[in-house]
Amino acid sequence: MAINESAILKSELRWTLVVAGIVAVILGAILFAALSMHINPPSNREYVDPKTIHLSSEFTEANLGTQVDQNGRVIARMITTQFQFIPNCIVLPAETDVTLRFTSPDVIHGLLVTGTNVNTMVVPGYVAQVHTRFTKTGDLLMPCHEYCGLGHSQMVATVKVVPRDQFRPDAQGRASCGDRR
Amino acid sequence: MTEPAYPRSRHDHESDADELRALESAMESTPRGAALVSAIAVGLLLLCWLAIYFGVFLPRGTVG
Repeated sequence: MAINESAILKSELRWTLVVAGIVAVILGAILFAALSMHINPPSNREYVDPKTIHLSSEFTEANLGTQVDQNGRVIARMITTQFQFIPNCIVLPAETDVTLRFTSPDVIHGLLVTGTNVNTMVVPGYVAQVHTRFTKTGDLLMPCHEYCGLGHSQMVATVKVVPRDQFRPDAQGRASCGDRR
Repeated sequence: MTEPAYPRSRHDHESDADELRALESAMESTPRGAALVSAIAVGLLLLCWLAIYFGVFLPRGTVG
């Protein structure tokens, strides 16, 4: 391999092919996950008035927590606020498609559920929504991961994932952490 | 008057020619070595990415 223009060009073309191959492999892996396993970045554009969420939207106190709707969908709603999650604990069934919905009345928060791919920002004025399916049971920590003020480090909630047969919502379709029977 | 550190002489000219040949010879194989080092580095990076993607990210389950 002598050092001349032709050799350099050949070498650069070879590297271009290698890099193109690597990008193709990575894109292929991402497409594979998106199409066959439904792993996508959570995206949802839905507005809510942060000044009145406690009065007039779906995030009133009575609606918070886990609820099974008339179609059998499991939806958990939480408010993230300085410096707590409301409610502080939600119970969800394993091996079931669930929808998590969050909003914030004050500042930007973020959350993740440890050991899972659930990870989103919660921005005032918007509803953050994540569809997921928990495969393992247990108490999973859900900390705020976006610095939101002096009490940020204390802002943590629990996601209790229970076996599907132990998930027993009440007559109104509601389930809370205290209801584990 | 001190002697220069590298006095020019007939002998040195011969030595220069040898060095030039050695340099040319080294420069012929250097690109191969550089390509090998780059290939190993990029290959390891890709392997780590794939290991984390398939070993950590995918087992953490569906999300969207």
